[in-house]
Amino acid sequence: MRQAVSTWLTLRAGPIGNELLIGLTLAIVVLPQAVAFSTTLAGLPSYFGIYCAVWGVLFTALLNPSRVFHGGPNSTQSAVIGVTLLPVAPQFGPDYIGYALTLFLLAGMIQLLFLAIRPLGRFLDFVSEPVANGMICGIGLYMIFKSFPPFAGLPVNTQVEWRLWIAWQSFLAVLEIGNMHAIHIGLITLLVTVITRQFKALRNWAILLGIIAGTLYSEYLNAHLGIGETLVEQTANISPAGFVYPSLPLLSQEAMPDIISIIPGAITLALLGLFQTVAAMRLMNRKSGQFVDARHGIFADAVSNCVLPFISALPTCASFNRMSLMQAMNTSSRLAAASSALFLLALVGFFGEYIAIIPVPAMAAIIMVVGANMIDWSDIKAHFQHRPEAIVFSASFLSVHVFGLFGAVICGSLLALVYAKWEKAHPNVTLEGNVLRIRGNIYYGSLPVIESLYHRANNDRRFDELIVDFSAVHHIDPEGIRWLAEIGRNDRVRFAERRNGQDRRDDAGGRPGERKRKDRRRRQAL
Amino acid sequence: MKLLATGWGKAARLALLIGTLLALYILAQARHDERAHIREQAVKLTPGCADKLARYGLAAGASYTSPYALAHSGQASIKRGYSTEDVRAIQRGCNIIDDLQGQLAADPARERWNSTRFVRGTHTSCDHCHQGIGDKQTAAGAPQAGSLSLAASWVMADMYDQFTGILLPYELRQMQCYINSSNGYKPNVADDLIRDVTAYSRFLAAALDLRFGNHYAEQGIDEVTASSTLKRGDDYVRGAARYKEKCAHCHGPQGLGTVVDGKMQYPAVAGPNAFNQQSRNNFSFVSTILPGFLCRNMPLGEEGSLSKQDCRDIAFYVSNMPRPAGDKDGPLAALWQQLMMRVMPPLIQAVDTWQGHDAPRDTGT
Repeated sequence: MRQAVSTWLTLRAGPIGNELLIGLTLAIVVLPQAVAFSTTLAGLPSYFGIYCAVWGVLFTALLNPSRVFHGGPNSTQSAVIGVTLLPVAPQFGPDYIGYALTLFLLAGMIQLLFLAIRPLGRFLDFVSEPVANGMICGIGLYMIFKSFPPFAGLPVNTQVEWRLWIAWQSFLAVLEIGNMHAIHIGLITLLVTVITRQFKALRNWAILLGIIAGTLYSEYLNAHLGIGETLVEQTANISPAGFVYPSLPLLSQEAMPDIISIIPGAITLALLGLFQTVAAMRLMNRKSGQFVDARHGIFADAVSNCVLPFISALPTCASFNRMSLMQAMNTSSRLAAASSALFLLALVGFFGEYIAIIPVPAMAAIIMVVGANMIDWSDIKAHFQHRPEAIVFSASFLSVHVFGLFGAVICGSLLALVYAKWEKAHPNVTLEGNVLRIRGNIYYGSLPVIESLYHRANNDRRFDELIVDFSAVHHIDPEGIRWLAEIGRNDRVRFAERRNGQDRRDDAGGRPGERKRKDRRRRQAL
Repeated sequence: MKLLATGWGKAARLALLIGTLLALYILAQARHDERAHIREQAVKLTPGCADKLARYGLAAGASYTSPYALAHSGQASIKRGYSTEDVRAIQRGCNIIDDLQGQLAADPARERWNSTRFVRGTHTSCDHCHQGIGDKQTAAGAPQAGSLSLAASWVMADMYDQFTGILLPYELRQMQCYINSSNGYKPNVADDLIRDVTAYSRFLAAALDLRFGNHYAEQGIDEVTASSTLKRGDDYVRGAARYKEKCAHCHGPQGLGTVVDGKMQYPAVAGPNAFNQQSRNNFSFVSTILPGFLCRNMPLGEEGSLSKQDCRDIAFYVSNMPRPAGDKDGPLAALWQQLMMRVMPPLIQAVDTWQGHDAPRDTGT
């Protein structure tokens, strides 16, 4: 029996079968996120999230050549929508929906600007890997914290500031006033998912099995105690939703002052989407071994986000958690993402009433698992090998919880830039006898370091001449040229510029241990 | 079926995870049992609550007739009665309004549902703004107009918030109180803290015979707008003078409140124990609320003695003293305000002492 099952599973897990399985899993994973993000974070009806998870995912899968890419609704973008539109109109109302669509369209057009103006798009590359990983780990933890109240059947705390403290308050609330039936359902889902993940054949089915176990237990409770006794919330029935739901952004003259007031929000929304897409694509390029230019991602996002406001959908951007899942399940083509959209459409269309009975605590448990998956210890360990990287990583991780995601991106990028400049400002300069070797850049930032060593060498009366060797300099700025011209007037100085390879061979040969730590060698030399 | 990775390390990690979940589950069960036990316990009332609830004739029974309504209208209004659990909830709610910090409780955390967890600072209590334990009355025994009555607020449940336009039920409005007016955090809407206060407010409405959906004069605050004054403009300096004359005696020269033997006597209106910058009490945020409160409720015992212009001036002065940043001000503003709250009071006190204006007094922070 066991052999038969595993043979069947191996057969099923053929190339296309595996892609379709990934698609189905993604559809199941994105469904609770779509409903939760649009209703609890963005203040919009649940079909906005669903249509984004269907059409947003399909459009980006078709337009973006990356194998490991999954668009769809995003927690931080949804939070930005809610925060931006809160002062403009009451949530869930027709005005609010109109303004929301306008906001999405503006964001899409700003993203098109990033595509059209190349330097702007290039600016996005300053999100380095430690920044992106710090953000991902931060968001993973944030999603776990955010799931505490629904896990225990409690209303979500809508206070968004001081996240860590609110997470702690929510945790205490779970312990003290959580609905025990909800906690049971959540725990069953969590345990089934975690335990089935340990078996290779069931690994990709773990989330589905967890949800099924949680739902079955919740149905058992409802049958025995009645839903009036258990009070466990279930997913809303979404079967009345059709294929598309056409909509028009609100662009009337009376709305103009409010639309102008939401433009900063639109810029934030657009930037957040692109940052996440570019960062996620860079990460997946490295993990999957396939190289796709991030501009493809910007193109796919920008075009999709200009179309989605007309079919009642949230804006789309790359999803770290679902892409990590795809990567973990070894996806090999875009079929997985495209099929997830179609599966979701089918799920919503044909199995709406079955989706409706999935209890919310089970969904929260799944979001916890997804969040925990985003925290990858091997990545974190790699960053802690190198002190500056560790600082950048920790800063962007912490700032997710202190300044929010946008603050994390800005903070992490600034730190990475400062670090790069700092490294450049300390070039590898050595003085061996009367030879002053300069490696790296000669520019205004590094000149003070070079000059101090030059003056020390110049004052050394043991040698008649001073040889300045800048064979390994790769950039000299105008100030550096003026400095070189000035020291050239000194009779003792002779310039050496050897590009015959002798230098490099020497370097490669001796003292391998010190080659790795250039900075230490420099410090010794100085 | 094959395990993905065998080995003791993996097994140990899995066991650790499941063990942690199990431990948390047992902890949750214990905490739930403790809460259930507290709900069953008899409530020790504060003196104010014992008096108020006795006057309103709170007792378990099949029906409830308000002595207050009978005395004021001559008609008995018979309402559905309260179970013993209801009575305990109402009593606990009254205690929370009267003594949020648990200064009068033997075990504050148990008797007040951990209410201090949701409040930063050691001064804030509901009773400071919602005076008379949420039911302030004039000497004649009539509800005081513009006194933020909880009873009148309950019968206006599900009202639109006039500043944000959001439909806010009574529970959510309570939760808002904790964020800015108490400079703290929202309790969960399902928390006993919220439920008991709602039960108490609801009982007050029944006791005062208020009708659901009606607007009463005692609900909210009589806002004092700039246009309702002689339009001399709000003046910080005038406010400072009036504050020294009328308020500093209790609230301290720098608004840091008065503490005697570790117990708060008069609450802080500035500094780390006060409402924060995004509270509607803050004049710079909403300029009509604090003046309205002052005109109706301050100074204690001499209510109504301040002119409208005085109220605006004092409110302006008070809101310029350093206080915590609001929840939406961000971490940098919070840091700055913390610095101001630490640095300014000793500096100002030093200058005052040097000039000989004020003898140094115990500000009792």
